[in-house]
Amino acid sequence: MLTAVLEQTLNGLMAGSIYVLVALGMVLIYGVMHVLNFAHGVLLMVGAYLCHFFFTRLTGSYLAALLLSIAALALIGIALERAVFRPLQGNLRSQVIASLGLILAIEHLVIALWGPNALQMRVPATEALVPIGALRFPLQHVLIIGVTLAIIAGLFAFLKYTKLGTAIRATSEDRQAAMVVGIPVERVDWMTFGLGTALAALGGALIGPLFLVFPQMGDAPMVKGLAGILLGGMGSVPGAVVGGFIIGITEALSTLVLPTDYRDSVAFAVMVLILLAWPRGLFGVRVRGED
Amino acid sequence: MPSKLLAAAALALSAAFAWAQDRVAVGIVTSLSGPMAAPGKFQMNGFRLAEEEINAAGGFSVGGRKYLVELKAYDTRANPAEGASAMQRLATVDKVPVVLGELHSGVAAAEAAVAQDYQLPLILTIPTGPNLTEQGNRFLFRVNANNDQLTRALAEFIARQGWTPLAFIAWNNDAGRGGVNGMRKLLGEGKIGYVGYFNVGEVDFSAHVSNIRAGDARAVMLLMDEEPGSLAIKQVRDAGLKTQLVGTLAMGSDRFLKRLDAARLEGMVQYNAFPPNADVGSIRTFSERYRKKYGEEAHGFAAQSYDGLKLAVAAMQKAGKLEGRAIREALAGLQYDGVIGRIKFDAKGQAHPPVYVTQWCADGKRRILYPENLKADCGAG
Amino acid sequence: MAGRIAAAALAALLLAVPALAAQQPYVLHVLILTCLYAIPAVGLNLMLGYTGLVSLGHMAFAGVGAYTAAVLMVDAGWSFWLALAAGVLGSAAAGAAIGAVCLRFRTHFFMIVTLAFGLMLYSVMNNWDDVTRGAAGFPGIPRPAPIGEWSFGPLSHFYYLALGGALAAFAAQWLAVRSSFGRVLVALRQDERLAQAKGVNGMLYKSAVFALGSALAGLGGVLHVSFLRVAAPASFTLAESINAVLIVIVGGAGTLAGPALGALVFVGLPEYLRIAAEWRLVLFGVALVLITLFAPQGLAGLLARAWRAVRA
Repeated sequence: MLTAVLEQTLNGLMAGSIYVLVALGMVLIYGVMHVLNFAHGVLLMVGAYLCHFFFTRLTGSYLAALLLSIAALALIGIALERAVFRPLQGNLRSQVIASLGLILAIEHLVIALWGPNALQMRVPATEALVPIGALRFPLQHVLIIGVTLAIIAGLFAFLKYTKLGTAIRATSEDRQAAMVVGIPVERVDWMTFGLGTALAALGGALIGPLFLVFPQMGDAPMVKGLAGILLGGMGSVPGAVVGGFIIGITEALSTLVLPTDYRDSVAFAVMVLILLAWPRGLFGVRVRGED
Repeated sequence: MPSKLLAAAALALSAAFAWAQDRVAVGIVTSLSGPMAAPGKFQMNGFRLAEEEINAAGGFSVGGRKYLVELKAYDTRANPAEGASAMQRLATVDKVPVVLGELHSGVAAAEAAVAQDYQLPLILTIPTGPNLTEQGNRFLFRVNANNDQLTRALAEFIARQGWTPLAFIAWNNDAGRGGVNGMRKLLGEGKIGYVGYFNVGEVDFSAHVSNIRAGDARAVMLLMDEEPGSLAIKQVRDAGLKTQLVGTLAMGSDRFLKRLDAARLEGMVQYNAFPPNADVGSIRTFSERYRKKYGEEAHGFAAQSYDGLKLAVAAMQKAGKLEGRAIREALAGLQYDGVIGRIKFDAKGQAHPPVYVTQWCADGKRRILYPENLKADCGAG
Repeated sequence: MAGRIAAAALAALLLAVPALAAQQPYVLHVLILTCLYAIPAVGLNLMLGYTGLVSLGHMAFAGVGAYTAAVLMVDAGWSFWLALAAGVLGSAAAGAAIGAVCLRFRTHFFMIVTLAFGLMLYSVMNNWDDVTRGAAGFPGIPRPAPIGEWSFGPLSHFYYLALGGALAAFAAQWLAVRSSFGRVLVALRQDERLAQAKGVNGMLYKSAVFALGSALAGLGGVLHVSFLRVAAPASFTLAESINAVLIVIVGGAGTLAGPALGALVFVGLPEYLRIAAEWRLVLFGVALVLITLFAPQGLAGLLARAWRAVRA
């Protein structure tokens, strides 16, 4: 029994790591621009496809392909910010609808170009098995958790100690005040967007070798990541981390007691319950202009 | 001089005649895009191969005239409304005499209703929902075995081998849930172990693997297609579980072997609509032609569809005219020996083809374990 | 005056369709589907277009109505009309109950919670094999029993039923929008705090429109499964809910004619745009983005602008 709990907790940490990467990207963008980018999931998927493309066509190095796809997605993110999200700032409803449009267009564009079948990205180095007690996990599992933890630490340091990081924090806290003190908020906007989409791409590139690369792969992580942000508190970076892991681990542990068909429902039920008790989320930040 | 002119004229005329030869449009409903596009491709492959062969032989004759086959395919994307629209179009705009195909049981039900409205025979080649043929629809026929038939064969085999309790990892759709329910009915609740469902598109089976490890199942049945299947098996074996694996028809092919390796597959059994390497004349010819045209091993769905189109043509010939009701009568009384076995429809329009169980050998080949009379050794599966 | 004549002409045209399209049953089929897609869209238009509630789980309520009616007709032998009433009431009740939870949240929270409930309802439809027949679908759903000699089997006859349903939905929308109820909804969308400051009970109105929207979704759902003669979870997925949002936005959110125009484009376009389904959806997605950026009133807005330009 204990092994089962341990096994599921580790599974949950792995799934949670991906949700956290998605959540971090979305929460950074939301904090700075008050834009909720539902299209984050398809961007994760595009990151995975580009990683697969670079890996199989350009360089045989997984690391190089990963870095290239992150760079590419950052550029795509910046373009989207300029073209779609900046004009729609402040209009939440329109942002959601535009995001839906982006999801449809991008997902089906990928299907039209790559076909509906799933692609396999076999990176033999990551298929080695790591023994943990009586259990065995593929190296990629451990890698995902490790990389995510490193990113979290790096992000915290970045936000606290670097100039851009501080600018991001300032703009999130109070955009007007940031402008008053001379922070170039427009620049912060697109840089944050690029950073957010880069994180999504990283998530996609990390899942790729472990599972398959297919057009719908970003849908579940996006919804779960969003649930994580809501749970943790919109606009709160620590909230996104805590929320993402809570969702991942709870849904994994739930399979020990509930029929797995309802696994998705569990994640949402948890989210709804927590929000009913803490309407702003666990680390909820009250933002001016919203009530 | 005049004779040469006459000869040239005759040649030109006959060439023109061949070029202007009549074609019969045969309706196809399938998934060309959407969630079932991957299995849909195998279905179309089977139809296209049959179409090619029929036309290469000069077509078929109905009522004294020779016709070529022309497929008119519509994409129904696993959506019932699209299925009904496609059937409506085929019946009243394209005015085809017969329709074949479909993958999804829910969509097939919508199409069957329209088929009955217009007295247009619909021959299913993949959907497995048993209640499709329970609606008393005289214009619905099914070439492939339904879930009840598949599970009956498999349950018999599993019970004989003593592989119970039987655990499941299944797709949360008509194929997966239908399979689990069928096995539950046949083996009895006591012989069923852990049942884990997952949604189409999910690829993380760690939760199921943990639960199976914690249980006492002697075998695990994987009710899913190749793509998630290869991942599930990989995850099960990588986690150190040595439980007996039971797969579905998609997992008995070389294409599947390429996704994994012989070491992880060895010992796994799966049911199959037809074993592509069996030492039976018609199967060997079909497999060779399929490999030549598509560069890969033949898939069970393709075999079912191939037989479907050929038998539709046989029915049209028997009917003597290209009219729905006549073709329906011809189908009801037809007996056709296809690649998947003898096809004869019962009173409900359901055929009863044999269901095979094949097993992977250590060298990456397969053997046939069931039915008893068709048993064969490694290499013939 | 011009408006009245146009409306009368439109009504006459709609009623005459079966006669005009007698030789084209396929056109009738497409028009019936357009009506059936328009009805839930009207419900969503009231919620999203007028009140500003972006629900991503709308079609799940169509499923509630559809399956309720299906079980009553096939397992309990009820007549179509009673089952229809039960289906509509069922989805209204579900809307009221689930709305009560969802409406405790604002904007993006609201959206994700409606999405979550939509997925949960879908799970029930897909997994509850004993009642809903599960993923393989629930076949054998009948058309309404014949009224005297008039059977609902033929397309031209069912068309009148579908048209009737659509007209009822649009009439309900018109009544709601024209009344003070409708004005309060718009006020809530524009500035909820101000409206509440003026003494409006926002929660009450929003719950009412959620229930009304869900009831209309249920109406569409019951007609849908009676038309197709099968109820399958595949008809009530998240993708279908997103399609409903598409129809409302492209047609013109917050306009009376929006749902009709949107449904016409959504159902009719694939018939005339013979390109692969994938590219069609790419186009719809791009259209959605462009409409949000440049034409927030959708097709209805563009047509209105064109009409005014012509009149000037």
